[in-house]
Amino acid sequence: MMLWQINYKSGKPVYLQVVDQVKAAAATGAMREGEALPSIRPLAEELRVNRNTVAKAYTELESQGIIETIPGKGCFVKPNNSPLKKDVRRKLLTEEIDHVVVQAHHLQVPPAELVEMLKERVELFESRRQSRDAQPSGERKEH
Amino acid sequence: MSESGPVVEIKGLSYGYGKADAVQDLDLTVKPGRCYGLFGRNGAGKTTTMKCLLNLLRPKSGTVRLFGLDPAQNEVEVKRRLAYVPDYVAFYPWMTVRETLDYLASFRAHWNRVTESELLERFRLEEGQRAGALSKGQRTQLALVGAICPEPELLLLDEPTSGLDPIVRREFIETVIGAYQEGEPGQRTILVSTHLISEFEGLIDEFTIIDRGRNVLSLGADAARERYQKIRARFAAAAPELDFPDALHTRRDRRELEIIANGGTPAILQQLQRLGPESLTSEGLTLEEVFVATLK
Repeated sequence: MMLWQINYKSGKPVYLQVVDQVKAAAATGAMREGEALPSIRPLAEELRVNRNTVAKAYTELESQGIIETIPGKGCFVKPNNSPLKKDVRRKLLTEEIDHVVVQAHHLQVPPAELVEMLKERVELFESRRQSRDAQPSGERKEH
Repeated sequence: MSESGPVVEIKGLSYGYGKADAVQDLDLTVKPGRCYGLFGRNGAGKTTTMKCLLNLLRPKSGTVRLFGLDPAQNEVEVKRRLAYVPDYVAFYPWMTVRETLDYLASFRAHWNRVTESELLERFRLEEGQRAGALSKGQRTQLALVGAICPEPELLLLDEPTSGLDPIVRREFIETVIGAYQEGEPGQRTILVSTHLISEFEGLIDEFTIIDRGRNVLSLGADAARERYQKIRARFAAAAPELDFPDALHTRRDRRELEIIANGGTPAILQQLQRLGPESLTSEGLTLEEVFVATLK
């Protein structure tokens, strides 16, 4: 079960918001490998967004290798196995990191502090992930 | 015309009631499968535009085409392929819900009975109820059932949710998304005029804002939310007097500065950053806020 949210003030395209939420849920373990995503119609109705927006998000997730569509059954979270080559994956991530580095400069966070912050975030993320893994599925609760 | 041509194409449309022009030189194109919003204040010319599309009014100048056809020349063919829900819905008061739907279905080559019973149940409409005894919300719901069951290629909605309570409005939009958009994506096009923009925010792909009959802005919804941003800065001392070319509106109040940017947000943020503000934030505008900002 995922709690979806669209924020029209984020300036981010709506379909990308859906994409990022699924990616975050898959990365943190909120959605597990093999878990089904809601089908397009109920999700579109719930979020009150155009069906094409949800369809576009799912297509994007599929092309990024996050989910797979099984005809007649629906969409499922795939095992974490990016189809991209390692150097491409690193390059994509480098772009994201550069963005953070630029932001840190403007927000006057010194480099050493930025590295420390990044380490903290990674550790927090990993500990959350492990605590989810420790819980038997079905008894998980959203907080 | 090929099937992938625009579903709605308006070029240089003008229409006047008496001396005043209600619509002036309006251009608008809706591609297949899109949900297109026509936004304007009351009296901006939305209904006049819709009526020109339906051949209820003859344009003073300019052309309108639906499915590549002139609605004045090919009225039957055009109306066969669309359905219309006006803001004020009237039915024969002596007919029941059942009789009304049968009457509407008698004009249609195709009618989806499964969708019909699904929607009647969803809206809790009793088939034996007389149309004359229905509330405004129920009449709109009945009109929507009548518009969706023929599974038309184009759904024209003219202020469909004004005057309805929030629950009915919500159900209306969910129904348009769920039941109408259920079909082949390229065969489900929506043109909706409204001033209740936030209701339709997630549904709209593209929109045109009209004011006093003229086109003020046509843009994609995602592009608009990215382009129009609200930037807020607070300074330790009095806020500087700045003039940014991309600023649509600028407000200063002692130490605070609020800018509505029409594009160029990164450049504005960079410039403000150099002035060492205490805080600096930006957020996208919702479509309703874009509407207000462009008409202010």
